[in-house]
Amino acid sequence: MKRLPALLLALCLCLPLAACGGPPAETGSQEVTIRCGISNAWDALMPYNSVSGSNYARIVYDKLYDRLAYVHADGTLSPRGAESWESCEGGYAVLFHLDGDAAFHDGTPVTAEHWVETFTLMTDPECPALGRGNFSVFTGTDQDGCRVAGEPFGAEAVDELTLKLTFKTPTTPEDFLLDKNREFYVLPTHLLEGVEAAELMELDLWKAPVGSGPCVFVSEIPGSQLTLAANQNYQLGTPGFDYLVITVMDKSNLLTALIAGDLDYYAIGGSLSADDVPLAEASGLTVLEGTVPNTFYELMLNCERISDARVRRAIELALDKDLLCEQSTHGLGAPAGSSISPESPYAASAVPAAERDVEGAKALLAEAGYDGTSYTLVCTANRAGLAALMQQNLAEAGISVTIETVDSAAMFAGMADGTYDMGIASHTPGALPLWFTESRLSETNNIFHVSGLEPYTSRIQAIRQEADPEARSALVAELDAYLAQERPFIPLWFGTALHVQSPTVQNIDYPSASFSNENVWAWVKE
Amino acid sequence: MAHYIRRRLITAVPVFFGITLLVFLLLDLAPGDLTDLMGEGAASAAEQAAMEAAFGLDQPLPVRYLLWLTGLLQGDLGRSYQYGQSVSDLIAQRLWPSLLLTGTGVALAVAIAVPLGLLAAWRPHSLWGRLSELFTVIGSAMPGFFLALVSICLFSVQLGWLPASGMYTAGTGGSLGDLLRHLTLPAAIVGVSNVGSILRQTQSACLEVMGEDYIMTARAKGLRERAVLVRHGLRAALIPVLTSILSHIPHIIGGSVVVERIFGWPGMGSLMFSAVSSRDFNLVMGVTVWMALTVLLTSLLLDVVYGLVDPRVRYERI
Amino acid sequence: MSGYKRMWRRLLGDRRAAVCLGILAAELLCVLFLPPLLGLEPDLTDRTAGFWAPPSPEHWLGTDDVGRDVFSRLICGGRVSLLVGYGAAALNVAVGVPLGLLAGYRRGPWEFWIMRLADVFHTFPSIVLTLCLVTLFGASPLNLVLVLGLLGWPDIARLVYGNTLSVREKEYVTAARALGARTGTILVRNVLPNAAAPVWAALAQRVGRAILSESSLSFLGVGIRPPQASWGNLMQSASSLAVLAGRPWIWVPPGLLMVLTVVCLHVLGNALRDAMDPRSPAGRGGWEGR
Repeated sequence: MKRLPALLLALCLCLPLAACGGPPAETGSQEVTIRCGISNAWDALMPYNSVSGSNYARIVYDKLYDRLAYVHADGTLSPRGAESWESCEGGYAVLFHLDGDAAFHDGTPVTAEHWVETFTLMTDPECPALGRGNFSVFTGTDQDGCRVAGEPFGAEAVDELTLKLTFKTPTTPEDFLLDKNREFYVLPTHLLEGVEAAELMELDLWKAPVGSGPCVFVSEIPGSQLTLAANQNYQLGTPGFDYLVITVMDKSNLLTALIAGDLDYYAIGGSLSADDVPLAEASGLTVLEGTVPNTFYELMLNCERISDARVRRAIELALDKDLLCEQSTHGLGAPAGSSISPESPYAASAVPAAERDVEGAKALLAEAGYDGTSYTLVCTANRAGLAALMQQNLAEAGISVTIETVDSAAMFAGMADGTYDMGIASHTPGALPLWFTESRLSETNNIFHVSGLEPYTSRIQAIRQEADPEARSALVAELDAYLAQERPFIPLWFGTALHVQSPTVQNIDYPSASFSNENVWAWVKE
Repeated sequence: MAHYIRRRLITAVPVFFGITLLVFLLLDLAPGDLTDLMGEGAASAAEQAAMEAAFGLDQPLPVRYLLWLTGLLQGDLGRSYQYGQSVSDLIAQRLWPSLLLTGTGVALAVAIAVPLGLLAAWRPHSLWGRLSELFTVIGSAMPGFFLALVSICLFSVQLGWLPASGMYTAGTGGSLGDLLRHLTLPAAIVGVSNVGSILRQTQSACLEVMGEDYIMTARAKGLRERAVLVRHGLRAALIPVLTSILSHIPHIIGGSVVVERIFGWPGMGSLMFSAVSSRDFNLVMGVTVWMALTVLLTSLLLDVVYGLVDPRVRYERI
Repeated sequence: MSGYKRMWRRLLGDRRAAVCLGILAAELLCVLFLPPLLGLEPDLTDRTAGFWAPPSPEHWLGTDDVGRDVFSRLICGGRVSLLVGYGAAALNVAVGVPLGLLAGYRRGPWEFWIMRLADVFHTFPSIVLTLCLVTLFGASPLNLVLVLGLLGWPDIARLVYGNTLSVREKEYVTAARALGARTGTILVRNVLPNAAAPVWAALAQRVGRAILSESSLSFLGVGIRPPQASWGNLMQSASSLAVLAGRPWIWVPPGLLMVLTVVCLHVLGNALRDAMDPRSPAGRGGWEGR
């Protein structure tokens, strides 16, 4: 009887070990695997069914599926699914000449017909596609991106390798790609024949997707690990590795794992805070500064609650953007007075960041008859420090603010339904002048609760219609000046990322990773 | 006894539905749903509405609960919104890694706690007593995440002995040795976090037993200390120790959120965490059902074990 | 009441317990009275010191990521952490002891349902439930006390239940019953003092557990809301490798305080249990003592 406990114990210990036969058999040791970490999980492996619509999902779709072009961090473009492109029909349409070598992972060549069918399926009102608003730029769609019956659809196959996209407003191919390239992927529509549009998202195909991207699906533990193999026949070249394994882990362990040699690289772009640089360098890693700003911080305002534009301007004047920027970026950012990126061709039209002026803020508040109302400032837990600084800044001007830290779902929901009065958010900036304003100052998404949208929408429309660069710059400057006067949101700063270089993988285009694409085909690991 | 078990099973039914209803309500009360997360708040109202319609979130709460319940009775837990796959598949995928990690951790804790608890009860002021106090205190005074970060810093970064993340070295397919190397750190941390409570239970159970008359008698009969300790002490203390271990079953199945997150271990805890933060309704409900089932079955198991080992428990009474 | 007096005398006679009691009391006093006495400002940024300043005469423990004084945050964070710890443990007792007594004394359906409920609460992985609840209702100290307090009672209830079962058959209880005393009186006068001894040891554990739960939640980003300090979110800053390896003064003090608190409570709890346990005349448990 006295052996019983010992036996039980031994059994407990052995049980987990004994059952280890399960995992797949060991493969040859000659193969080269790139181990990549990521801090947030991707969504379903179907790019038009991305619930979060986050960059973490995009960076994964980017490997499996092909896009039209590759967008570099500096705003230049290089071929990918399309070899070249040209504007036609007076700027209302673009012809994309597809790469004839592109093929799906099952060997089927990618044709213009695949692109057209993908777009046709996703704009079908019956199909539960997400992020469909992106299709609303094409003719034959309504403002939600659903195809309108009877109107010709703006995606056509001119010949086997020529895709023609027609827009509602004149759009250069460069502007279209900078804005929307990361939203459009080609699907293997030859495998979707006879599928009801309504059931499209429930296919088993998306559990083991077939794309035409630089990597081939091998296996997935949703939300935890994705194993991909190199696509030997990718049109831009064969990746210099055999497997790419992406593992979700806590943010706090990414750099540690890289130093420990458990990872080769981590998404997105191996970015790290300036605070961690000495440590990374002491561990033999190289850290390089990004070439272009890749984050834009803004303070969202609820214009219904803070209804007087003078109060909103006073809030901007009271904020010490230099200090806030220093706290957040450790000197790698520049305060901003506009959402237009300093690298954008329209940077000259942007309103510059104003100096902090507490007295000016107080005067404005007095003029507006501010009654000491307390506002709620919402942010996610990792930005609580920033919020605390803002609270002190605003208190100096006599504006009282209470801070709420919630998770991001609650934050965006609370901003949208008016629970909160201010919120700190950050975004990846685009090169176009309207990248930020157009989607947030429209009837369908009025997150700043602006009461009269007409002044914004008419100006935005005018900018869209104007093809002449000079006249356009002037219109952009005019909109920006109007924004500075009304201040529905407060631009804070543009920050540049630091990228820790992979010690083992060569040729990674780190800065471009922040723009949701990676040059996987050029990566080489010995 | 069969009658008793039947009765217990019947009473478990309302408790089970109570738990699911409660979690369903709580989730519904949570500010924000998954449509708010879309595109960092840049999704249009129409897109949000379309998404809500696609997932049936536009229905009133009772309808949604009934629909979900109907699905459950047909054995269908629905699809995860975020991952687009069936919830049961997702849970099945995460079950084994969770069991492995937390199971090994708890086994480790038992292996330390039971002998130590026994020895500490036997000689409270010896080295064993001190050691057991040390373990109790470490386990209950140091947050798991902190132990994890420090041990990674030490064993992975400084010494380079053990891997800091994952379940297998990516791309190797995974051998037993590789798995063990990856398992060591997280399992040790789960173990240390659990050792305190088991140790305490064992120690107090043994203390109690050692005060009993028959142990005194055994000692008076002149049996050797060790024989008394093992043959009588441990045997009588077995029940409370066993129940304390059994009550860890749901934790073993539920996984450990913090350790799984840090080590990138594909377990149930991290699944639940990401499901809650992305408001993945079906997935949260699926994990809850699974947990509720294990909880109820464990508590039944505990009772049966009590009855088997200790005839004084009378099943007919209630 | 003389029982309690004897208990106190025994407790203070145990030197270790007395020292621990002193430390805990000092800690509580510091946390309560230091902020007003020293004029500590845990939320104020010192621009001259800058972010992440190392310890200096002005800032004994340096400054944090937004230039706030870490020492002030440590002391004021202690208020929150200790409130959560003691509050949750007190709520555990307030719920667990009556339920345990009731189940053990009344038996029948009371026993059945209370103990079933205890099983469910005891075995349900509490971090999961806490996570859901805190995400939903927000992590104010009061909410944390409520959530942790209402989830942690089964341990206590089970202890009390077990002891009540044996106590209720003792002669003095049956005698009181025979004399026609009311159930409530018997429970409070005769059963509770004899059944509650082990609660003290468990109580210490519950305080530690609650403080730890708060810090785990902080790590997951759903703990005490950050502008407010707590030991948990101070420790959480160690999740950046630069802080963990390069700025030990940020996380060592809260870590030490947490360990110190739990150790003292542990010693004190055991001493209290022994002091109250009528079966251990020497005030010391263990086999050797007999």
